[in-house]
Amino acid sequence: MSSGKLPTTEANVLNGHEGAVLAARFNSDGNYCLSCGKDRTIRLWNPHRGIHIKTYKSHGREVRDVHVTPDNSKLSSCGGDRQVFYWDVATGRVIRKFRGHDSEVNAVKFNEYASVVVSAGYDRSLRAWDCRSHSTEPIQIMDTFSDSVMSLCLTKTEIIAGSVDGTVRTFDIRIGREISDDLGQPVNCISLSNDGNCVLVSCLDSTLRLMDRSTGELLQEYKGHTCKSFKMDCCLTNTDAHVTGGSEDGSVFFWDLVDASVVSSFRAHSSVHTYVEGLGIKIIGRGLASIRNKLQFYSELFYNLVTSVSYHPKDNCMITASVDGTIRVWKS
Amino acid sequence: MDADEDDFVFFGTPIEREDDVTTTRKKKAVAEASGQLRTLVPWKQEVRDEEGRRRFHGAFSGGFSAGYYNTVGSKEGWAPQTFTSSRKNRAEIKKQSILNFLDEDEKAELDGDSLGTSSQFDTFGSTAAEIARKQAEKEQQQRPSAIPGPAPDEIVLPASDSIGVSLLLKMGWRRGRSIKDSHPGSLYDVRREARKAFMALSSEDVQAPISASELVRGDPEKVSELPTGSDNQLFDNTPVYVLKPKQDMHGLGFDPFKNAPEFRERKRARVSEIKEAGQGRSLSTKNSLFGFKSERIAPGFGIGALEDLDAEDEDVYASGYDFGGSFVQEIGEPARLFLEDSKKKGEKEHGVLRGFKVASVTDYQTERFNPPVIPKDFVPRHVFSAPLEDNYKLADLPPPEVPPPEDKDLKVLIEGVATLVSRCGKLFEDLSREKNQSNPLFSFLNGGDGHQYYFRKLWEENQKRNDNSKQLFVGKSYPTEQKMTAESRGKILGEKPLEKSSKNISLPINSGATVNLQVNLSDTFTNPVSFAEPQEVAKPFRDDPPKQTRFEQYLKEKYRGGLRSKESGGSSSMSEADRARERLEFEAAAVAIEKGKWGNEMNFPNQQLANLSGTTRLQFTSGGTEQAGVTKSEEELITKKLYPKREEFQWRPASILCKRFDLTDPYMGKPPPAPRMRSKMDSLIFMPDLLKAAKPEEDARASLSQSENEYNNKEAANREDEVEVEVENVERPVDLYKAIFSDDSDDENEDSGLDKVEHQQKNAEAANTTLSRLIAGDFLESLGKQLGLEVPPELSKSEHNSKGKEAVNINSANGDSGVLSVDRKSSVPSSAIADGFKTEEVRKDNIYHPEVSHEDASHGALGKSTQGSGSQTKGTGLFENVSVRSRLDIPQEKKKGTTSTGQQDRSSASSDDERGRRGSKSRRRKSRYSEGETTGSSDDYEDRHRSRSRGRKNDTSREKSSSRKHSKHHKHRSRKSPSSSRHRSRKDHGESKREKRK
Repeated sequence: MSSGKLPTTEANVLNGHEGAVLAARFNSDGNYCLSCGKDRTIRLWNPHRGIHIKTYKSHGREVRDVHVTPDNSKLSSCGGDRQVFYWDVATGRVIRKFRGHDSEVNAVKFNEYASVVVSAGYDRSLRAWDCRSHSTEPIQIMDTFSDSVMSLCLTKTEIIAGSVDGTVRTFDIRIGREISDDLGQPVNCISLSNDGNCVLVSCLDSTLRLMDRSTGELLQEYKGHTCKSFKMDCCLTNTDAHVTGGSEDGSVFFWDLVDASVVSSFRAHSSVHTYVEGLGIKIIGRGLASIRNKLQFYSELFYNLVTSVSYHPKDNCMITASVDGTIRVWKS
Repeated sequence: MDADEDDFVFFGTPIEREDDVTTTRKKKAVAEASGQLRTLVPWKQEVRDEEGRRRFHGAFSGGFSAGYYNTVGSKEGWAPQTFTSSRKNRAEIKKQSILNFLDEDEKAELDGDSLGTSSQFDTFGSTAAEIARKQAEKEQQQRPSAIPGPAPDEIVLPASDSIGVSLLLKMGWRRGRSIKDSHPGSLYDVRREARKAFMALSSEDVQAPISASELVRGDPEKVSELPTGSDNQLFDNTPVYVLKPKQDMHGLGFDPFKNAPEFRERKRARVSEIKEAGQGRSLSTKNSLFGFKSERIAPGFGIGALEDLDAEDEDVYASGYDFGGSFVQEIGEPARLFLEDSKKKGEKEHGVLRGFKVASVTDYQTERFNPPVIPKDFVPRHVFSAPLEDNYKLADLPPPEVPPPEDKDLKVLIEGVATLVSRCGKLFEDLSREKNQSNPLFSFLNGGDGHQYYFRKLWEENQKRNDNSKQLFVGKSYPTEQKMTAESRGKILGEKPLEKSSKNISLPINSGATVNLQVNLSDTFTNPVSFAEPQEVAKPFRDDPPKQTRFEQYLKEKYRGGLRSKESGGSSSMSEADRARERLEFEAAAVAIEKGKWGNEMNFPNQQLANLSGTTRLQFTSGGTEQAGVTKSEEELITKKLYPKREEFQWRPASILCKRFDLTDPYMGKPPPAPRMRSKMDSLIFMPDLLKAAKPEEDARASLSQSENEYNNKEAANREDEVEVEVENVERPVDLYKAIFSDDSDDENEDSGLDKVEHQQKNAEAANTTLSRLIAGDFLESLGKQLGLEVPPELSKSEHNSKGKEAVNINSANGDSGVLSVDRKSSVPSSAIADGFKTEEVRKDNIYHPEVSHEDASHGALGKSTQGSGSQTKGTGLFENVSVRSRLDIPQEKKKGTTSTGQQDRSSASSDDERGRRGSKSRRRKSRYSEGETTGSSDDYEDRHRSRSRGRKNDTSREKSSSRKHSKHHKHRSRKSPSSSRHRSRKDHGESKREKRK
């Protein structure tokens, strides 16, 4: 894989968010993307044509994560208002709100059949919500974490979540086991490889770690970027050939999956904004600073922070979201 | 008219005109006849009988031709069966037959059209008998009989004779006469056959109703065989009822050939063969060998309890069992009977059978085989051919005592090798011999210097190990292993006793020497490379001597190359998981030490093996600082080695989760685990310490996850209880809520003010410290606010510097921090509030007031009742207030959410409308949904809405009005949905239009 194939040229800039964009996600076929941010909105874009399609407003606080069903019909989002919102994409209406998290919800995902929403919260728990019934009670609460749960992934049979307590826990529904992989470093984000065998874990010691899921073995470490205190995404490219992740200084890094060398790194977000409203989600574990969980962290240092990266499922295309309020579409 | 008509006399059939037909029934009939009904739709047509009665009714109006005037059998209709005591009318057993359910015409049909053989062709008279019996039955029903109830079949005899009987009669046979008597002689056999046939038929006739099924299956042989005995007697024409006797030992109704009918034939053939033979004999012996009764008993079967003959008197077994063929056993007949048979035969047969003697020589003899001879030294316990411990020398005589070689090193070496060899088996010896062929030190393996001593040592070790293993056999546990201290282990290993490790801590200068010694010791057994080198090795587990010993053991084993004995890596008292973890640690430590050897020899005496100790020491030792001479890089390496660490727990997914994931519940059917007490407070009260970050956290995690300890749960429960009780005794001034919820903007200003200060700090660490200060400041601020004091930001800032950390510490120590953090959360505004949302916020504030009052009302009773008890100290009161708030926070939040949603929905809807007015209709709405989905979601919406409104019956009128708005809005939406579905296919089209518009 040469770096020439990597999406390093900017194709579009999606402007619209007023304030930091906290997450940007492709939908399952990669034709659309969703973003959410501090301005309490979720926006639907066509990143390939650079147009804004729809805005979803209902959140009372910042929106930290958004996920769309494989059939593009429903959205789920979560954020600072401690609720998980279940949206209808077309009408833009909230179908249901799942309340139960005791504090901010960091991540949300649908399962394969879009029947369950699983959310990960600062309250050290994962909660599974039923979209099919009218119950707003969680189906199940997984509260074995000892610190804020930052990120989660779902497979057909498993729920995988990473927490600031340094563990990546796999809840295997099929065999009824919970497998805990302790990485020793607070986990910021986890991302599954496309073949589902590995999990990429972004730790707060500025290291991405690739773990074999079946054995729990550490396969590789990727270093070079800065990731110390903010919630930032990482992911693998569509071919699983490279690992990509944002940095707190606004650059995006590409590593070779196998030899962990930095293949490419460029300043993805370098615009000089005079006013940056709020920055990314500062991660403060419960054990580290138990008094305050959320911070409005104003600093000139991080105005380019790349909060989110999402890779197109098929093409060499990537979107990055930043605190500067823009989403940028990158193509090769 | 009518009167006139009466006077007339009519001839012939009047021509019916349509208007003359009065009844619709007739009309219908006519219409049907003329085919006019075809014009009617099928489901309007009615089926009627020839009399025009309606024959079919709906399922609820009587079903098909429901009996008597379309009722059920009687005028009164159906009545449930009432209880009748069986005491009085006992014998009334009603037999249902099909005739009970048939109409008259059907009965007639049945009677008339039933197929039967004409009596002309009724060769065997069966049909005639049948008819006769039927007749008799009928008659019996009609005429009064002396015997109440239906007359038994036996009494009713067939009136007509079969053709065989009539033939016989014609031949001169009389009824009641035996046929045989009159026909002795050469024709005997032929006649016998005829008679057999006759018997079969006659018995069949009688038997027909009883065992019709039997006959259908066809068992003529048996039937024919059985009554043959009767031909010895005078034959009277009372039919012999041959109920099919039970001839086997199977259970009633059990048919062994049910699934293998082919064997039935076979068996039957065999049986008949035997019988044929036996019968031939018995017949040839010219009768009366056996009584009638005994003949009726099926041959070869024991005397049943029901049979009234005396087994002692009558030799029932004598028939047909005195020939070799009797040894052919039939399926299902127990062999025991035969044994008894033969015995009895032996006793009784002498002279019993006239003209027969018991054979003196039997040509049949069972061959018997003696059991194999067990060797005398056989021990009935399996001994494994290749034992784990190689006992190859044990049987030998002990080698002579040999004085150890002068060279002490060599002695130690030999002893060590001997130990290892005895532990690991001969293989190790071979391996090390091979490895160290060139090494003069190991020449003792090849018969060089000290070979004898080595042998002696080896033998001793083996002996020792054998003893151990024997003990191991005796006791269930590992007695020696468990009791084994570091010293004893060292002794076994041939080590010099270690100096107490506590010394190492106090006297670090000495420790070097100890370490050296130790390393030399351990390296004595290991590869010669390391042996040759001077060593400088740290003891990573200095304050845990047994562990240190284990570590050394581990090191030795590591260098031994793949051959690890079972009990390495921890004593047997440790659990498997502990052992594994320790193994990991050891590995890491070993790597670190290795690194230290090769690389930089910097020693940080106070450097902690942070991760190492953090996780492991907790389990093994009580505490104390660990000192280890490891460098930073080593530490990193250790971390790398230690992490990722995998643990596995049981986890029970909720069944509905499994369902939703389309998986089968792995715990289906198993009882649910004990519910884990986890309260809201549990998540609010966190682990206290923020400075000693890693250790206690890990401790907590370990304790929580590993044992799910009840203690914690109980604690949590208790805590919860306490708090809950306290919570309910709290009075909440409305002003407090105002103070909390309405001063968001103030807070924001203050925050930004503080943040300006922060802006100037450039590096992250500094930022962090200010953060904690900030936290403390915020806390104080909110505290002040709740107390009703206005804390100026300047003051708080100054307080940060002085008290910040203490405050934090105090709070965290109190364990209230969680509560406070929640509080912070709600009071800290989201900075990203755009101006456009301001109005909404104002409205929110408005909403809160009724909300608060409502809350008050609901909790009013409690609040008021305890108002008097407000004489608590201010501090606790505050705390409780806060906790109450945190509890109420969620509903608060919810309401906020819903109202704002409604508002936004409304606004978006109105904007939609505007757009719709402006643009063409097709532009109005874009949807990607099928109609079903849209309606589904609207249903969802409605349901949710309903449930919500249900949940809040006590809501204020304002709430109600808002819900009305919701419903209005909903109507609006549903009106719109068809149009949206109409246009859903034009999604892209619409999109492009939208683009244009932009």
